[in-house]
Amino acid sequence: MIAILGNTLLLMSFAFTVYGILSATLYTANGNRKFMLSGERAILSSSVFVILSTIGLLIELLRSNFTLEYVARYSSAETPTLYKFSGLWAGMQGSLLFWVMILSVFIIMVIYQNRNRHQKLMPWVLITLGVIQLFFLAMSNFFENPFTPIPAGMVMNGMGLNPLLQNPVMLIHPPLLYLGFIGFSIPFAFGMAAMITGELDTVWIRTTRRWTLVTWLFLSVAIIMGGRWAYVELGWGGYWAWDPVENASLLPWLTGTAYIHSVLIQEKKNMLRIWNMVLIMVTFTLTIFGTYLTRSGVVSSVHAFAATDLGVWFFWFIVLILVTNIILLVIRRKELASVNRLESFVGRESGFLFNNMLFVAMMLTVLWGTMYPILSEAVTGTKITVGSPYFNRVMIPLGLLLLFLTGVGPLLAWRRTTTRSLRRNFTLPFIVGLILTGIFGAVSKMTLIYPLISVLLISFVAAIIFLEFFKGTKARHRMTGAGYLKSFFELLEKNRSRYGGYIVHLGIVMMFLGFTGKVFDKEADLSMNQGDIKTVGHYDIEYTDYWLETPETNPDTRSNHAAKIVTLKISKNGSYYTTLNAERRFYTDQNNQPSSEVSLKATLFEDLYIVLGSLDLHSGNAILKVRVNHLVSWVWLGTFVLILGSLVSLNIGGLIKGKSL
Amino acid sequence: MNFRKKFILVVIVFGLLTVAWISMDFKSQEVPFISVSDLVNHKEMFRQDRFRLGGNVQEGTIHYSDDKLTVDFLLKQGDSIVPVEHTSAAIPDLFKDGAQVIVEGSYKEGIFYADNLMTKCASRYEEESKYTSVSETN
Repeated sequence: MIAILGNTLLLMSFAFTVYGILSATLYTANGNRKFMLSGERAILSSSVFVILSTIGLLIELLRSNFTLEYVARYSSAETPTLYKFSGLWAGMQGSLLFWVMILSVFIIMVIYQNRNRHQKLMPWVLITLGVIQLFFLAMSNFFENPFTPIPAGMVMNGMGLNPLLQNPVMLIHPPLLYLGFIGFSIPFAFGMAAMITGELDTVWIRTTRRWTLVTWLFLSVAIIMGGRWAYVELGWGGYWAWDPVENASLLPWLTGTAYIHSVLIQEKKNMLRIWNMVLIMVTFTLTIFGTYLTRSGVVSSVHAFAATDLGVWFFWFIVLILVTNIILLVIRRKELASVNRLESFVGRESGFLFNNMLFVAMMLTVLWGTMYPILSEAVTGTKITVGSPYFNRVMIPLGLLLLFLTGVGPLLAWRRTTTRSLRRNFTLPFIVGLILTGIFGAVSKMTLIYPLISVLLISFVAAIIFLEFFKGTKARHRMTGAGYLKSFFELLEKNRSRYGGYIVHLGIVMMFLGFTGKVFDKEADLSMNQGDIKTVGHYDIEYTDYWLETPETNPDTRSNHAAKIVTLKISKNGSYYTTLNAERRFYTDQNNQPSSEVSLKATLFEDLYIVLGSLDLHSGNAILKVRVNHLVSWVWLGTFVLILGSLVSLNIGGLIKGKSL
Repeated sequence: MNFRKKFILVVIVFGLLTVAWISMDFKSQEVPFISVSDLVNHKEMFRQDRFRLGGNVQEGTIHYSDDKLTVDFLLKQGDSIVPVEHTSAAIPDLFKDGAQVIVEGSYKEGIFYADNLMTKCASRYEEESKYTSVSETN
């Protein structure tokens, strides 16, 4: 019943969106306000239908209605309730519906926010968003319908959720990633509207400033959470592998990050108007492209969905977007030309331009590496892949250059910076950087060049940021006479976007420290019997005990899996450190699909990372993979700082007090 | 030359440098993805030392060494079969009889020594056969 209702609603929203687009288009032709209102209401209704339809699918997942093919595939009676929610985005059909649901929520917000403003832009914003919505609705209705029924009684129990997705991070990562992808539709739609109407001043950028920042924050956190998931769930010991699907999420992040920087120049100096338009178009296209990559099966990846004919439609949709964009850019190229000109290589504008150049170069590097198997197959007939060595070779130097700009860029003066000001701002941080690098080099005996440069830049940039906060606070303290702590918060309050930006940069610096730690990682494969003690790095690992837990013995905690568990007593530098249980699970609702749970002891400097590869219950022989990973915690800590900085920039406090977006 | 032109020049030079940097060592990073039959029959066709192979694990051929750290199995693609050997403590969770796998490594005297074994959990998401087997078993 609910399924039929959901399906009907989905079909109705398709029809309503078609009508809405037509009606709004008519309004742009004849100017009769009634058509606009009608179109707006049609798309609003359509969006509400989509949301209701999604709730319908969620209800069916929660009550395990196995007469729906989708529910039978991605859920089972034993699936913990919490993970029945993840069923919504575990499969192709659900994830497409979920996608259009989030877009629908955004559309409702945009229409509501702009009900009394941007009368000229809004019809085209509505049409653009309508077309995007229509594309995904068509996919959901006619190609990958989540409400496809199977005869009652044919399936008694579903297949259950992929164990790899049964992790708390996977409850949050996909929705965040969707928010981060789909959110770029909004600035894109405003950009399109600006292009079509010729309202090319900064209105479209200012209006979508918050949308863009929030979207960027979601995408950043989503990408890092994906890494966190890989780290704690996949058990190969790292958090980033340049997998095509990881790359797909990174591509729009790179251009999106370039965009949030370069719009600042347009706001301040009315420059780079074409460039910003290009950036938002590319970013949006990359979000669709990323979705296409993961759903078309063109690249083989650990998390890609299976191959379908959906790819063709995505391909043509991308072509449509690109062609429309290029035509619009060509038509408007004269009006978009900037009035102001660049004057110097050492000015704030140039800093931003170099930042953009690096981001775009990184995007192209990742795109090239990701698409190379497909391109090489098309040209030579042999599929040739390039892996981490390629990406690291290019991305590490580019990333370090970018890190340098992170510190220097914000302190450059607009137009042109004097040598005196350069010396004043950067001498002390540079000395701090040199000293810390010296200490680091002496302690770690590191002779590789990249880690040394990285540490130099990290300490240089961190010193610059701290110095900025210190100077600002001191100046305020002197000006107002308030205490240092109060002055500090007033400083943030008075110039949120600037100091919020510094905090975000500090988060990025901390993450670079985490990336750099990788160079010290150690790994060992151990075959151990009960009572054995083996040494990895400065850890002694003693295998003390093993046992089995099953759904029968532990019905509360292990409803859908059995687990083989070993206990390991760990000593560090000779004295007792900790005791870890490593476990290997077998999911009973997944044909006893095994899944290793990583056991992890994380500190600021080192993570002890242990995976139980196999355990023979008769002999007690255990195969363990032990890794000592360095500085990984800084990646996660940096993320929190990044979130904090974004929230400061966004003025969340003001938002709660009722200021509109 | 005005500043705008200078800047464009800088961008071009930077782009060329990046491309040069990539292409300097690109060949050695290429890992061709080849079919098992091509590997077995035309080894001389491929000059690189490293390959990727894709196929399915032949049922019943998975065999672990005594210390369980090395696994060998037969990789089947179409009608061609190649023996594969892989050493690691952490065999991917989805590695089992019939699993779709990708192996990366080198081929010496009839055995493919893989240092990287990837399972395609992708196929598990939408595998038709698995789905019917569930309805049958229930």
